[in-house]
Amino acid sequence: MAFLNHFRTAYLKSFQGDRLNKQLFFILRALHKSASSEALGISAAGEEAIPQKLITPADVGEKPRVKTLKEMPGPSTLSNFIEFFWRDGFSRIHEIQMEHRKKYGKIFKSRFGPQLVVSIADRDLVAQVLRAECMAPQRANMESWKEYRDMRGRSTGLISAEGEEWLKMRSVLRQLIMRPRDVAVFSDDVNKVVDDLIKRVCILRTQESDGATVLNMNDLFFKYAMEGVAAILYECRLGCLENDIPQETQDYIHALHLMFSSFKTTMYAGAIPKWLRPVIPKPWEEFCLSWDGLFKFSLIHVDKRLAEIKAQLERGEEVKGGLLTHMLITKEMSLEEIYANVTEMLLAGVDTTSFTLSWASYLLARHPHIQQKIFTEVTRTLGPGTVATADDVPRLPLIRGLVKETLRLFPVLPGNGRITQDDLVVGGYFIPKGTQLALCHYSTSLEEESFADALDFRPDRWIRKDSTDRVDNFGSIPFGYGIRSCIGRRIAELEMHLALIRLIQRFHIGVSPLTADVKAKTHGLLCPAAPIHLQFIEREN
Amino acid sequence: MALVTALRRLAHARLREYSWRTPAVTSGAWRTGQRSFSTGTQPLRSDNKVTVHFINRDGEKISVKGSPGDSLLDVVINEDLDFDGFGACEGTLACSTCHLIFDEEVYKKLGPVTDEEMDMLDLAYGLTDTSRLGCQICLSKTLEGMVARVPESVADIRQSKDESA
Repeated sequence: MAFLNHFRTAYLKSFQGDRLNKQLFFILRALHKSASSEALGISAAGEEAIPQKLITPADVGEKPRVKTLKEMPGPSTLSNFIEFFWRDGFSRIHEIQMEHRKKYGKIFKSRFGPQLVVSIADRDLVAQVLRAECMAPQRANMESWKEYRDMRGRSTGLISAEGEEWLKMRSVLRQLIMRPRDVAVFSDDVNKVVDDLIKRVCILRTQESDGATVLNMNDLFFKYAMEGVAAILYECRLGCLENDIPQETQDYIHALHLMFSSFKTTMYAGAIPKWLRPVIPKPWEEFCLSWDGLFKFSLIHVDKRLAEIKAQLERGEEVKGGLLTHMLITKEMSLEEIYANVTEMLLAGVDTTSFTLSWASYLLARHPHIQQKIFTEVTRTLGPGTVATADDVPRLPLIRGLVKETLRLFPVLPGNGRITQDDLVVGGYFIPKGTQLALCHYSTSLEEESFADALDFRPDRWIRKDSTDRVDNFGSIPFGYGIRSCIGRRIAELEMHLALIRLIQRFHIGVSPLTADVKAKTHGLLCPAAPIHLQFIEREN
Repeated sequence: MALVTALRRLAHARLREYSWRTPAVTSGAWRTGQRSFSTGTQPLRSDNKVTVHFINRDGEKISVKGSPGDSLLDVVINEDLDFDGFGACEGTLACSTCHLIFDEEVYKKLGPVTDEEMDMLDLAYGLTDTSRLGCQICLSKTLEGMVARVPESVADIRQSKDESA
């Protein structure tokens, strides 16, 4: 019994890893959004005249007539086609969101070939939609993901699963990595990765003639994020921040880059009808190839841990471990489900975190006064040289504000998707069940109505005077909201908070003459359109 | 091997505990099949229990007992209270559906609010100055007889709730 108790404690302690899901969500949403914008199979029936009996407004009274989708404003199919396919609108999805919001209002429809998408570009309407969600919200059509898994005999994970299957895995994983206190125990693991990040900054800047510049911050943060997620997810280090990156880690990075760089083509993988694949084979082939690479990597690490556990049990040793160990021992999910989920979580947890860290450091460099204020808060609160943990973060409101404000200005997922699971009335329009919605987070984040001086970088707008002080709302929900929100949210926050605290403690981050104004572009996720080069100048203390 | 069996049993117990911790009422038909129906009778050691009076959306008072240390969300689940959509994320601070409103004196006794809870409260419907998330409030003897009001429901934008998903 004592042993059981012991295990139980270890087990409770071991579940920290929240950020993954959240990031999954992000990615999901990104993929969904783009994919949905493109070609997923929502039928045109949505726009047909609706049965009269359904047009009963929910509330009785003098409500205006509920309008049909036919009456909804939006760009014409042709102009949309030209915008996206001819003028490469996909990289400007976030800007087009803003333009369309101005032109057509809070809710508008767009057509991408056979796919109708209803965009919701208003914080209150977004709130209505998310609050009306049922038990297993659906983001977008994930058939191409599912097809690959079926082909390879693999399971779906939190991104690709739907319905009951999804809920079963979500129920397991959220109990492990969604509660802030369960994730706080990963502080030490994450801090070891932060140690290596700082070392890496010091090495990289010596390679530049000014001894201060680090080129392409995102490349560094990519490695940091990957190392951080893996430390929690695989309970091992990958060596991303070493001088010589191990071959299998390089292979994985290659697969991840392939997945990302071929984002548009892989999006078409789902969009191109199967019968066209013999004629245009590349998208589907690349899609499968990158998934093969991602799965291969997860299998290596999961199997390695599984073998260690088995060996320990055979020797009669006590098994201790973190998230993966827990999942492998409790078997709440099958081994295939574990493979699929760690694969999807790693995929979702890397670019999302690294882009946000890149933007955060870029914004700090561009706003030295704000950086100084945050530095002052950190040093006053922690004292010199203290390595912060999750427990210190509540005393550093500007650090939390920095991450929130960065994600408001550059929501890594500029839009999210939902497929309606009931007939809804949104913004006065009847929206039939099965309609693809795009929740326009980018445009709501920059609404003056929700955020005064919305284009300004002001981390202190998130600071509360007291616990009843409410700060903003559904305008900026970078991790989503509710049952299908990002499951990796807390892990991502921990990784970002701890890295930013330490960078700010140690360095003055400055702009490099090599980097001018960096704009955002959409490539599935919202990312820097040009490399961000920054200077890291040692602080005196 | 015995170890593995023991661990597995433990894990199953835990899984079972959580798998029922779904919102008190679900809208999808496929989900309803999995709901647990507890009797709500908990005769043991009721003297140690804490009485909580919930006021539901119809204004009805429902008085139940919970164990010290349980969260108000636990109480709602254990007692199978029928508050539509309550506790959707199972107490993992990803939503604000377990939003409850308290009297001022009770509110003051509820203990500190974390940043994460405040962030979620920002997104709660019908927020008041004495709002908290039920999943974050743990019962203690000092809260004996507390009243917790379930806020009004969101104006429902769904048009065909009875359809199976």
